[in-house]
Amino acid sequence: MILRLPFLSMHLPARAITVSLCLVSLLVVALLSALHLGAYPLNISQIGQAVLGHAEGIQRMIVLDHRLPRILTAIGAGAAFGLAGSMFQTMLRNPLASPDVIGFSAGASCGALLAMILTGGFVLFGALIGGVVTALVVIGLAWKDGLHPYRLILVGIGASLTLSAGADLLMTKLDALTAAEMAKWLVGSLNARNWADVQLIWVGLAVLLPLSLWLQFPLTRLAMADDIANGLGVALSSMRLAITATAVALVALAVSVAGPLPFVAFVSGPISRRLVRQGKPALLQAAIVGALVTLLADMAARSVPLVHLPTGVFTAIIGAPVLMWLLLVQFKKGTL
Amino acid sequence: MTAHTTSVPSEAPNTDARGMWLGLSVLGLIVLSVFALRFGLRPISWGSIWSALTAFEPLNPDQIVLREIRAPRLVGAVLAGASLGMAGALMQGMTRNPLADPGFLGVNAGASMGVVLCVLVLGITDPAAFVWVALGGAFIASLLVFLLGGGNQANPARLILAGAAVSALFLALSRSLLLVSQQTLDVYRFWVLGGFDGIDFGTITALLPFFAVGIVLSLLASFVLNALMLGTDTARSLGVRVGLAQILIGLAIVILCGATVSMAGPIAFVGLIVPHIARWIAGADMRWMLVFSASIGAALMVAADLLGRLPLFGGNMQAGVMSALIGGPVLIWLVRRNGVRKL
Repeated sequence: MILRLPFLSMHLPARAITVSLCLVSLLVVALLSALHLGAYPLNISQIGQAVLGHAEGIQRMIVLDHRLPRILTAIGAGAAFGLAGSMFQTMLRNPLASPDVIGFSAGASCGALLAMILTGGFVLFGALIGGVVTALVVIGLAWKDGLHPYRLILVGIGASLTLSAGADLLMTKLDALTAAEMAKWLVGSLNARNWADVQLIWVGLAVLLPLSLWLQFPLTRLAMADDIANGLGVALSSMRLAITATAVALVALAVSVAGPLPFVAFVSGPISRRLVRQGKPALLQAAIVGALVTLLADMAARSVPLVHLPTGVFTAIIGAPVLMWLLLVQFKKGTL
Repeated sequence: MTAHTTSVPSEAPNTDARGMWLGLSVLGLIVLSVFALRFGLRPISWGSIWSALTAFEPLNPDQIVLREIRAPRLVGAVLAGASLGMAGALMQGMTRNPLADPGFLGVNAGASMGVVLCVLVLGITDPAAFVWVALGGAFIASLLVFLLGGGNQANPARLILAGAAVSALFLALSRSLLLVSQQTLDVYRFWVLGGFDGIDFGTITALLPFFAVGIVLSLLASFVLNALMLGTDTARSLGVRVGLAQILIGLAIVILCGATVSMAGPIAFVGLIVPHIARWIAGADMRWMLVFSASIGAALMVAADLLGRLPLFGGNMQAGVMSALIGGPVLIWLVRRNGVRKL
């Protein structure tokens, strides 16, 4: 299928559209069951009334103040992680790349711990500052006549490892109780989200999602060799900088509402690529996969009784089997 | 979507310089080892070190510390550092991915899972038993990775994805089991910190055959690895039996890492950093690369273990953390100074 508009014409492959529609319907089903899930029993019509604003009292409170904000935050944060991870993997031409590669997560952990030690609070603020400063320093150190993927990866590994060792070191300076609390935060949790979080992540996505989808055009060319991309008219270094900045902004947003949820950024790209099978990055689908993985992980965390498990424990338990299954299917079909 | 499939023919560093560097790194390792014997909570005089070797007095406390604590610790650090360095070099060479660390074959995650299940289900809390459980877990996990990665027709990119997926799943499963059982957490917490604290010569002797086999296998593998790094198709046309070679390399990595992780816990960083540092000295030739990775890995590990004992870092910081703290900045400095040499 080919889309032709006065300002834009693009190829819309049927498989990509089918996959997106399937993923979106899965997401909707997951969203509805997430609204249904919980200690307080609500049937579908009660939930519907509450969402539309017709319910009163406890029903309204549970749906609108507790479940819905948490679900929408999970979807938004997951989408942001999925987008950012997929962009990094394509740009750096490395399936193992994720925002961790440029040290964002390690920097954020260090920042959060430092803030806790120095001020006894401001964890989120410290994390964001730590993450962004680390990303800037890594880009600065890796910049030498432009931004080369391989150098960025190496500098990123160095910074990331040093900072996570630093975080381990800082962790030993805390007392046991604070350490346990910080450990939970560092795994990533979606407990007790409110509408301010929802607003933050969705307003951010409203700006950054279109920007990312537009960046998909140069990104597809950057995935080829440098010479080819250059020959196709991509300004390599400035495009890489733009893509890195967008991805870092996405991760910063997601971390600020959900903490550094592990694995979502890594797994969304490979899953969506294998589903879409068009041989180029599928950013939109990666975003939906990220949202789906995060929402399902959060539902799993919520359904464990008695203990409050952080969502981050479950992202890999949900995401990894899907990737393993896709690898197995591919193996049988002999593709890749 | 494979990482850098283009391999840049690097200007071959001349052999004399490499020999000199090798001599220097071995000398550095020896000096560090002597320091590691001398310094610690209880400083031991040079004379005692000498007499512990030549005229052992069983009742001299200095000599007991030296023989029972410092010496096994030193040997453990050297073995672990050398093994992780070599395994990292093999892993990055085989997958042609600079982000691959030997843990990606599922070894660390499998070992952790083995220990967690052992404590949780069987109620075993004796660290000495963990050696074999960890080794078993490591082998099972890496077998799973290998099967998912495509068996003997493995494609490096797929192998890596499979490894990352299996590792993440196993680690997440063990972590969630730990959140449920406080008792298991208490035991696991100390195992996972790793390091060379409670190590004795009994454990080292038991694992020595594994280290020996692993090192011999890697040295054998280094000959085919040079061809393999040109890409699987080129290697095949050069007469390399790619499937067999990959199994051989995978086995070497699993044996080396499995033995290390069961001796000293999951030490992640050394295998990732050391090959990059070694590559600047050794160039692209895998035979030199492996030797350098072993000597640099061992030196880094001994230095990390030594530094971790300084009061500045709480007197007992794990060697894994310390090695990242030292190795990371060295890596960045090398990248800045020498520019990029692709895999």
